[in-house]
Amino acid sequence: MDFELGPAGEAAMRLVFTGPPQPALTRALLKIETKANQRFGSMLTDSVIGYTTLTLFFSASALERDRTEAWLREQAEAIALTDDSDPKHSAADVVLPVLYHPSVAPDLEWLADDRSLSIDDVIALHSDATYFAYATGFAPGFCYLGTLPAALRTPRLDTPRAKVPAGAVAIADAQTAVYPCESPGGWRLIGACPEPLFNLGNTPPSRLSVGATVRFEPIDEADFRALGGVVA
Amino acid sequence: MNGLQIHKAGIASSVQDSGRVGTLSIGIPPSGAMDRPALMSGQHQLGHQHDEAAIEMAYADFAATLTEAHDVVVTGAPVQLRINQQACRSEGVHHIEAGQTLEVKATREGIYSYLHLSGGIMTTPQLDSRSTSPREGIGGLDGGFLKDGDIVPLGAPDKAVGAADPQLTIKNSTTVLKLRFVAGFQFDDFADEAIRSLLAEEFTVTAKANRMGVMLNGERLHSGIAALYSEATCYGAIQVPPDGKPIILLNDRQTVGGYPKPGAVISSDCLRLAQSRPGQRVRFAVCSPEEADRIGWLEQHYLETRLRDRH
Repeated sequence: MDFELGPAGEAAMRLVFTGPPQPALTRALLKIETKANQRFGSMLTDSVIGYTTLTLFFSASALERDRTEAWLREQAEAIALTDDSDPKHSAADVVLPVLYHPSVAPDLEWLADDRSLSIDDVIALHSDATYFAYATGFAPGFCYLGTLPAALRTPRLDTPRAKVPAGAVAIADAQTAVYPCESPGGWRLIGACPEPLFNLGNTPPSRLSVGATVRFEPIDEADFRALGGVVA
Repeated sequence: MNGLQIHKAGIASSVQDSGRVGTLSIGIPPSGAMDRPALMSGQHQLGHQHDEAAIEMAYADFAATLTEAHDVVVTGAPVQLRINQQACRSEGVHHIEAGQTLEVKATREGIYSYLHLSGGIMTTPQLDSRSTSPREGIGGLDGGFLKDGDIVPLGAPDKAVGAADPQLTIKNSTTVLKLRFVAGFQFDDFADEAIRSLLAEEFTVTAKANRMGVMLNGERLHSGIAALYSEATCYGAIQVPPDGKPIILLNDRQTVGGYPKPGAVISSDCLRLAQSRPGQRVRFAVCSPEEADRIGWLEQHYLETRLRDRH
């Protein structure tokens, strides 16, 4: 698979693969990340996996460019993507309960109408799939999950909402996600998850991490309330 | 309780130390003082050894009373300082008695000033730092900017031996600030015209500037890049959204983004940008990674030299 290597500012190196995102690539990036932690130890202060990228952050002046680049090149060349399938039918690592109901999901009826589907069809489509965590970011605990069934794919709102509540289950393009905390957001909201996704008291603080497989489990309003969910 | 009782917090005051390391992977930015040398200067003058936090004030308009006696230093953007309604010089260490009031007001230069107090700020660290990340609600006092009426807990003043002012205040250029950047990310994919404009045109700092980043005005940069897969950002990254106005990402940036970036401004120039008022003219110049390393090393050496004990 083709890749490029380059600087990400002064103290970071960026490895990017030019092909489309796929779980096998993410798994390969996770492996390189683990090896980098062993190879560079405390010189490596952080690393971030994107859809097709791995960015390694070094402590100031600890980055030996030539050697690091040579090492990363070696790792990238050794990648063999054997399994490039979406994990559609595998058991999920994480199952998140979701109340799919217009009272907590302002775009659910719109989406059903727009696709000439019943709300139950939308729920079935969204909750039958197993998703793969390609990247984290935007907000602590926010995880970009793919791939959304084609029938549900929809562009972002033209004007993002100023306030999306914590737990909102959202879709945009071929992605789905749960907002871990209240924030502005332009994704369409089709459900609500009562379980917290980010808590600094937990190790790790985030419920979802890159490489995890995730499924959504429809629940009713009573269960949603029992799990701590709030219906306006 | 030994504390600093805030009467007037100002528009954006927050508790900041040198920030977090190693939290990008969980989506939390480093935060920390926007003007790191100013933070270090205050720590040095009070004899602080443990990255004690200071109160960072943007366009300072701050008033507070101390419940116990402390030594204080104000660093960073120049300010007018009043202790118990008495104007005093803003430089150097001041001893303030219990019950006395401290007022800090911005002048016409710079943005971020720092109030350091002997004994240090004793808010609870989160992820090994007291720095506030307001968007994430982490660190500082309840995770947010300071408000009128807040009481910031302070440590008992110790017998730390302070040192002379290391003179680290950033003096910004009155003409054009040079922003040297390491080319990278999507630099090669940018439309030629956009790169030509980036390198040839002058830009100005807009009022849309905060701890997350600084938006610039000037020739619109049309990258010609449609959509990107979200990837890591970095300090100084030049983010170019569809409206073509570049934003230089700083301490409280989102850790991941999907806008094209032709490179990242080196930290030495980012500090100066962070302290620049709206209207400051800036110009970009490419800097090789090796040159960036040399500048970084020289700056570090300069800091260490200035921060050697000089009583």
